[in-house]
Amino acid sequence: MLLVLPVMAVLAIVAVYPIVHSFYTSLYDIVLTRPHRAPFVGLANYIAVFDDARFWVAVRRTTVYTIVSVVGTAGLALVFALLLNEVFPGRRLLSIILLIPWATPSIVNGLMWKWIYDPSYGSLNGLLDRLGLIDRYQLWLADPDMTLLLVAQAAIWKQMPLAAILLLVTMKAIPDDLYRAAKVDGATVLQRFLHVTIPGLRSGFLLVFVYETMISIRHFDLFAIMTQGGPGDATFTVSWMIYTETFNSLRFGTGSAIAFILSMATFALSYALIRLLGKDR
Amino acid sequence: MPAAGRLIRAAVIATTALLLLGYVLGPIYWVFSSSVTAESALVSKPIRFVPDAPSLRNFRAIFLYAEEKVTYDTRRQSDPSAGEFVPSAAQNLMPAMMNSLYVGVWVAALNVIFSLTAAYAIARIRFRARNAALFAILTTRVIPDIALAVPLFLVMRNLGLIDTREALIVTYLAVTLPFTVFILINYFESIPSDLDRAARIDGCTHLQVLWHVFLPLGMPAIVASLLFAFLSSWNEFVLALMTTKTMAAQTLPIVISGFVFDFTTSFSFINAAGVVAIVPPVVLAIAFERYIVGGLSAGAVKG
Repeated sequence: MLLVLPVMAVLAIVAVYPIVHSFYTSLYDIVLTRPHRAPFVGLANYIAVFDDARFWVAVRRTTVYTIVSVVGTAGLALVFALLLNEVFPGRRLLSIILLIPWATPSIVNGLMWKWIYDPSYGSLNGLLDRLGLIDRYQLWLADPDMTLLLVAQAAIWKQMPLAAILLLVTMKAIPDDLYRAAKVDGATVLQRFLHVTIPGLRSGFLLVFVYETMISIRHFDLFAIMTQGGPGDATFTVSWMIYTETFNSLRFGTGSAIAFILSMATFALSYALIRLLGKDR
Repeated sequence: MPAAGRLIRAAVIATTALLLLGYVLGPIYWVFSSSVTAESALVSKPIRFVPDAPSLRNFRAIFLYAEEKVTYDTRRQSDPSAGEFVPSAAQNLMPAMMNSLYVGVWVAALNVIFSLTAAYAIARIRFRARNAALFAILTTRVIPDIALAVPLFLVMRNLGLIDTREALIVTYLAVTLPFTVFILINYFESIPSDLDRAARIDGCTHLQVLWHVFLPLGMPAIVASLLFAFLSSWNEFVLALMTTKTMAAQTLPIVISGFVFDFTTSFSFINAAGVVAIVPPVVLAIAFERYIVGGLSAGAVKG
């Protein structure tokens, strides 16, 4: 027990204390623009948040963003893992190059995609124009329906490598006998993929889903650099709402309440995923 | 396999590999090429994918800022339509990089120091609160950074630590420790238990077993977690945004985001700043590629 204490002590100070403090703050009506009055209001901040239409917009945006980025990341990672599981010249080089997006800081990832999506000078317009797919330059990040998907796409670019590595190591652990047995039974490539590979990847997918959900549900960096919550409320996510409530409106009480709701939601969601995907193993 | 089947397989692999390669490297290439393109060429249409006259002036401004200081006046003198503007804040990039480096190295070192004993205990000693301890450590990772930011901001303000690198180091420990403990536990559990049992029978204390058996054998996972911790702090944005104000502590992502919101900064310079922030982590990741995959694989296979 003594050996675990150092970590516990550090985490208690830098992680547990803040979250408790955050809950405590959420029970008071703290507005920094009037510093000397902070009455205890109990759960009023929470009620106010649930009554706030903007909060539900934020929940909807966060849900769409999380689903798109988790599914996109897992899907692309699966393609990458299947490819790297084959033997071909250049495989090792490709697996090393795969680490580049993972190592790219997310701020640079944000400015990179912002520049690619740039309506006048971005390479996306340039490329599509040259291929003859569009007849005039598009204002990518100005279209409310597109924006959230485009930010999610940028997140997928960065998240996919780690997911691919996780799936690849799980894939390599599937016993060859299973494939040989399936082949003897006359299973086609597709059948072997569906009945041997996919079930064998269960633990890898579990890890990817839980990890990526946790990352996406609270993602902040890309929104800060690419869209600032806009246009309109197109990318107004829950973490962006926490930021604006707290640091722009200086309403620390409601900001903390939303932060606490987000923490609990992340926890519940990861727990549910683990129970759902991790059962009968 | 018949010849036709082999050919189809090769074609599928080649196409997929090229598409994925393009997807991964395309954006990076665009950042690099933009960073060496003159602003006037960058903002002219049609968009050019290969720079005509590559120039390193952005990088000169970043690395040798003393020699090429650009002020409002020099900006006025230069041709405004060309937009060849390097902000004077370019000179902040190198100090910011030093801050990032300093914080990252400390976070990585402290991670390993704090988590080694915990990982050893949870992997090997059957004590009562073992599962509870593991659960408690991993649960802290569920807390969103933005939720940590507000209380930590208030604490650091009360302690007078706002705008110090030390505040960042302490804060980043919260974000990185759970993952480090997780990697180390999984790796330690894969080490055959005969080794440490023999050492225990010979009379070693737990700390001696850790030192003589787990430290050398666990090196791959330790290197992996050092690297993970370093890269996470190099990457971190939200918490640094809240707790830093000046060049005394601002890290690379903060300084770069400043350029993005300064609409007078040239696109070509912003991209050069991006390149400066990408190169160190990518070089590290590629150099230690074996450890990253090795450190993760022990954990992933067991789930």
